[in-house]
Amino acid sequence: MSRPKKALAQGRSSCLCCHQLVSLPAGGGPTRCPRCGARVHGRIDGSLMLTWALTITGTLLLLPANILPIMTVIYLGAGEPSTIISGVMQLYHAGLWGIALIVFVASIAVPVMKLVGLTLLLVRVQFGPPRFPLQAMKLYRVVSGIGRWSLLDLFMISILVALVDMGAIASVTAGPGSTAFATVVVVTMLAARSFDPRLIWDACDDAREELRESGATGENNNPKDGGAAGNV
Amino acid sequence: MGFGQREKSGEQWQRACHECDLLLEDGLAPPGQKLVCPRCDAILHRNPRRSLHYTAALSLTGLVLFVPAASLPLLSFSIFAFGAENTLFNGVQTLFSEGYYWMSTLVLFCSVVAPLGKFILLCFVCWGCTWALLDRPVAAAVRWYHHLKEWGMLDVYMLGILVALVKMSDLGKMEMGAGLYCFAAMMVVANLTTLSFDPESVWARMAARRRRAEAVA
Repeated sequence: MSRPKKALAQGRSSCLCCHQLVSLPAGGGPTRCPRCGARVHGRIDGSLMLTWALTITGTLLLLPANILPIMTVIYLGAGEPSTIISGVMQLYHAGLWGIALIVFVASIAVPVMKLVGLTLLLVRVQFGPPRFPLQAMKLYRVVSGIGRWSLLDLFMISILVALVDMGAIASVTAGPGSTAFATVVVVTMLAARSFDPRLIWDACDDAREELRESGATGENNNPKDGGAAGNV
Repeated sequence: MGFGQREKSGEQWQRACHECDLLLEDGLAPPGQKLVCPRCDAILHRNPRRSLHYTAALSLTGLVLFVPAASLPLLSFSIFAFGAENTLFNGVQTLFSEGYYWMSTLVLFCSVVAPLGKFILLCFVCWGCTWALLDRPVAAAVRWYHHLKEWGMLDVYMLGILVALVKMSDLGKMEMGAGLYCFAAMMVVANLTTLSFDPESVWARMAARRRRAEAVA
């Protein structure tokens, strides 16, 4: 029997906070971890629905975040509001292409990549099993790891607002786009938290089961999934 | 150390991978190495050497460094005779007074509350897990730390300072303040603390104490 053993199949689940193996009550309802007291579900409750909702919210908020100005720099009485992208272009034209690249990656590439990645993961889990679960896992880890770096722009604004405050000579004020952008970052971070990666493997296992039941001999050509489970 | 003890006591080691739910048995991470899930490559357990001692020392250092980092100016900027300074708090204050409540709260949370909370919680966990009386609060503190972990963004803030420094340097004179050095040190200490903390050793210590108490009784 080469089917990998799953904890949920035995009515148990790993506590996501302290990684203690917890026996779930009959019916698979939530319970409390006896060791750390966190709530334990078989899978995160309503994971897909919550992640979809947060991802869509994030995508919608990305529009005002990029269209509305995030800050205004006034120097010697002159200056206009700048959006995220025009801020990057200003840095690039000033010859600071290194900093321009950092800001571009943190505040444009990362949020977009995160939302695209989450959508891909959700589509994979819901419509057809992921063919390369290890790739999906890598995507999940990247998505949940990079999100925090997009707050860079907001920190920079909060520093500049206090630092450059000399009335008509030079001043920096925040713009309404920054509020939308802050919300995008928080919403995508929460979305990555609410996605349960174990669902990827559930979808894989279900697909393999179906394949086996439909008559095809359940050949298992992925040695990683073999009976060696448990040997590290 | 934790797993070794448990192995000796004959208790069966069993856990499920938190990222793919694979049931695993008989795993053992030697000190200084890590345990990886054979199916999804998730890191199940890192076993840093002397985790609790290092974490206790580092989190205390972080707490001490927090005081100058938060009170001394990080950067100062001047054009002609006009100058202004930036501390961890006054950017938040300015944003708040301009009416950006949500944004200022977020910046305050990620750059001050969460990192400070992490230091305090870890300090409490490392010093408190020696007393049986504190078992429940320590367990709660580990849980809180788990939730707070990814919201402490000192390293991102540091990069923000760097970008601000470069961006404004052609408008006026930008100077680094004493607070910036403390802040950089605090950032390094915060990352080291995160790396050295291993909740598993806290649980192992609690379990060992419980076993000893049972043996005595």
